[in-house]
Amino acid sequence: MDRNRLQHQAACMRRSLFDQGYLDEPFIQLEELQDDANPNFVQEIVTLFYTDSARLIQNIEHALSTRPTDFNKLDDYMHQFKGSSSSIGAKKVTDECTVFGEYCSAENAEGCIRSFQQVNQEYVILRRKLEVYLQMAKQAAVSRTA
Amino acid sequence: MAPAADEAKSGNGGQIQRPFTFNEIVLRNRLTALVVDGDNFCRLLQQGILQAYGLQTQTVDNGDAAVELIASGAKFDLILIDMLLPILDGLEATRRIRAMGVNCKMLGVTAFSGERERQAFLAAGVDLFVEKPLGPEVLIPILRELDGQYPSI
Repeated sequence: MDRNRLQHQAACMRRSLFDQGYLDEPFIQLEELQDDANPNFVQEIVTLFYTDSARLIQNIEHALSTRPTDFNKLDDYMHQFKGSSSSIGAKKVTDECTVFGEYCSAENAEGCIRSFQQVNQEYVILRRKLEVYLQMAKQAAVSRTA
Repeated sequence: MAPAADEAKSGNGGQIQRPFTFNEIVLRNRLTALVVDGDNFCRLLQQGILQAYGLQTQTVDNGDAAVELIASGAKFDLILIDMLLPILDGLEATRRIRAMGVNCKMLGVTAFSGERERQAFLAAGVDLFVEKPLGPEVLIPILRELDGQYPSI
């Protein structure tokens, strides 16, 4: 695939991630921090986000399956998830974390389970889209320097 | 990879108004910072951001370690501290750091967004309560002030 098409497709995909509300302003800050001295900064940060998120999701799943439900622990885990997802600009994930937090505050176990499914779903969708976009962006960058 | 600012799009399809971008500041002095955050990702991300701005940055993952570090004599121009921390929470850690006579700029950077949390963190001693994520519109004016590029208010 020629260079211009690669770059155009990467740019289109990036624009759609913002237009569809998957990503927000903080992601732009991450992109701006990437330079020749840190050429893989975004990928490294995103990979770290995946690792951190996997840990938190596992903790939340375990806490949700434990009886009686420890809502304080659940709230702490989701609070961390909200913090990391908002820091990377993962808007839909962040919004669902907020909803989960409200169910925690209300000590509504069923609501927590339902909203966690939404959190997980949004995370999975975002991760899939980001992996595709970053791969395209990498190929476009390689083609620029070729 | 970084796009031009005018290519950025908001979730609603419109242009994002961006008064600040990270490359708008050049520090004249060597500033130091401490990041106190229990979440590995957030801690490393904030460290990466501060280092990109040119700050020499240390990190700890709990409030007790932050207090111990300050008590050992370490000095910082800027401290970013989360509210929810293991071992010793951010409120108490902030109170103890201030009680040691530390007057540097402290930002409470947290995922909490409620007024009650804001008031509690400010009462504990942070100069500013910032809901995560910490963006350039908040950080750049503070760095300019610390660097002496603006007169102190």
